[in-house]
Amino acid sequence: MVVEAPQVTIVIILAMLTLFALTGKRIGFPTPVVSYLPYLGTFFLFFALSELVSFAVGIWVMAILSFLALREYFTLVDLRIQDRWGMLAAYLAIPFMFYFIQIDWYGMFIISIPVYGFLVIPFVITLGGREVDGTVMSIGALDLGLFLLVYCIGHIGYLASYSTWMAIFVVAAVAVCDLLAWAFRARDREGIESVAYQLLAPAPVILFLAWLLTPWTTIPPVHSVVLAALIPALVAVGCHTMDHLEADLGIERSRLQPGRGQVINSLKSYLYVAPVAFHYLRYFLEEF
Amino acid sequence: MRRVAELLSLPVLIHLLVLRPILKLIFGVHVEGRDNLTRLEQCILVANHNSHLDVLLLFHVLPARRIRYTHPVAAHEYFSRSRVLLWLADHLLQPVWIVRGDTAGDPLEGMRKRLAQGHSIVIFPEGTRGQAGKLTRFKTGVGRLAEGFPEVPIVPLFLSGPEKALPKTESLAIPLWNHVAVGPPQRFTGTAETFTRQLESMVRELGESDAGGRHRRLVRARRVPTLAVLGIDGSGKSTLSRALAQCLSPGARACLVTDDVEFFENGEKKDLQPLLAERLRKSIGRSAKTAGSLKSYKIPKLAELLLRDHIAAEIRKWYAPDVIVMDGSPLLNVAAWAKLYREDDFDESMCRSTLRVLSGRDEAVARDDPVFAVFPELAALKRFRLTHLAVPDVVLFLDVDPAVSLERIRSRGQQRQVHETEEKLGRLRDGYRMVCTVVERDLGTPARTLDGHRPLVEVAAAAIEELRRAHVTTMSHLHGMSEPNAAMEGGADA
Repeated sequence: MVVEAPQVTIVIILAMLTLFALTGKRIGFPTPVVSYLPYLGTFFLFFALSELVSFAVGIWVMAILSFLALREYFTLVDLRIQDRWGMLAAYLAIPFMFYFIQIDWYGMFIISIPVYGFLVIPFVITLGGREVDGTVMSIGALDLGLFLLVYCIGHIGYLASYSTWMAIFVVAAVAVCDLLAWAFRARDREGIESVAYQLLAPAPVILFLAWLLTPWTTIPPVHSVVLAALIPALVAVGCHTMDHLEADLGIERSRLQPGRGQVINSLKSYLYVAPVAFHYLRYFLEEF
Repeated sequence: MRRVAELLSLPVLIHLLVLRPILKLIFGVHVEGRDNLTRLEQCILVANHNSHLDVLLLFHVLPARRIRYTHPVAAHEYFSRSRVLLWLADHLLQPVWIVRGDTAGDPLEGMRKRLAQGHSIVIFPEGTRGQAGKLTRFKTGVGRLAEGFPEVPIVPLFLSGPEKALPKTESLAIPLWNHVAVGPPQRFTGTAETFTRQLESMVRELGESDAGGRHRRLVRARRVPTLAVLGIDGSGKSTLSRALAQCLSPGARACLVTDDVEFFENGEKKDLQPLLAERLRKSIGRSAKTAGSLKSYKIPKLAELLLRDHIAAEIRKWYAPDVIVMDGSPLLNVAAWAKLYREDDFDESMCRSTLRVLSGRDEAVARDDPVFAVFPELAALKRFRLTHLAVPDVVLFLDVDPAVSLERIRSRGQQRQVHETEEKLGRLRDGYRMVCTVVERDLGTPARTLDGHRPLVEVAAAAIEELRRAHVTTMSHLHGMSEPNAAMEGGADA
């Protein structure tokens, strides 16, 4: 096996992320960053495995990440006892969807959850018990969790099956947005100032990143420019949406414990970016 | 070296290599305040109890070296239901068994022995798995135990999550996070009673500090109160229940479940869309009524009663009434009929077990309970999960002398059913009386006896008076109850 520069780069990034994740607290990183790094590292573990071992192995790292996120969501959302079979069905949707990614069956992957998952889960919920009060709320809550934390996250996995480096570019771009947002406290600011920090500050960095990675991602410059504008906007929209959800779920940013919002808070910036970036790149893929 | 050797026993390895990873990776465990526990050599762990996962979670928190020297307190009859479960519990958890209802021995004796050996005890002072998320009053046993060992620290813990991951009423465990909050070790002070209360408030505080800021669904409290009229055949219970449904209907929609399903709104009978189960029930009911012997009567009658319970649930779903009046209660009828079939064996304790099994509140009924030997049907019902019959909110028993009721049956001119003899009706009447006593004492449902020899108007008035008195809480919305009058439909019958 010949190890080449791209693979060495992934391993180095993974090693650095692991190092920072382990020592972050002692170095004095802020708490949200310390809890963020392991999940960023998980993405790179997926990339490293799919480059060095095989995509069929790596993709299951993403499946586990989805499971962790969904488990945390189901713990926080207040579901009825009779929704348990629905929860089980939602968990079972994870291996199915990631298997479709593994065998590169795009048509089935794209409809697995929004068509079959969303048809089966309400049915399973109604089988769970006689109580009708709250059925609509339960179906909504279950479906939303499955959609955001499994289906949307899964798009990063599928993007990597086309090109690992495209996926790395998207993940890194989101990480840039998040880290800059923390550095500038961009999300705590208000109005036009917040928009400026969230949209304009990351764009040049992402553009630089795109230029740096062009030999490996093969994304043409014009699309790099579009993505550099698009990704920060989607991160901002996604975070704004998820902030409302988190507040309702009782997630406090000052007290992120395992099982109390750590996973959801760390993944929230990817939720909107992943499907949109995936479809954008897929649409123009033949040009690359 | 010796420490390592201590860890190399099979139960400890199973804990470390199987149970802990499963809990951690599948369910997720977050422990806060573990330091409170690591330095202790011997202790009494006191926690809230909601689920079977609780004890595994507590073993998850323990330092590995203490696993072999820690014993949970467990009810023997629960685990004696399954030999595999008993064997596993015995080997993995080494519990101190207590036998519920055993008044001869001191239940604390086994725990004292373990503590005297220098071992630790895990105790759930609520006694049994309580309602999800609610802490019930601690029993003082823990205080009395601690009194004898003032040098052993007592560690309060609060577990949250297991009540969702594996609730009391479910057998399916779902991967959801569990949180364990470990409080600071306590030393025994005061009396057993005050110390128990002190522990209770500490556990409650741990729970409140831990469970803060969680999402809660807004609950729309809407329970449909159910009123059951019991009585032997010919006592006039069908007539009374129809009269009651009519009296209750002004201001509230009342549904009557008798041989037919009828719906009353503002005193008027309304047409209903038919329920599928209702047609099935009618044809089964007909075959029960023409049965030639008690034996061939049994199965169709049981099926009819089960369907009647199902119909009551369907009515709640489809017609959304404000009150349901039932001519008989499937749960209580089955129990009372047991008296007819097995008069000699059927005493109050058996009646209690029967009611518990049939209503699905049977945690305390062991698998080898004599009731299953006497009524094999009960075991079959339990196996097919047909045992969640609804407990009515109020029970009215219309008491009539069998001779009088037989006279009424004759005057109706219908074909007599197989059990309609004076002797059998007498036994049935005893059965109903016993069921009323047990239901009031054990299930906490008010059960009132009415004299059925009086005319219907008086009986109905007395019934409504009893409803007002007994049921202030769940039927408080029924302000508009009208007084019964002689012109009521079917009034001439009585």
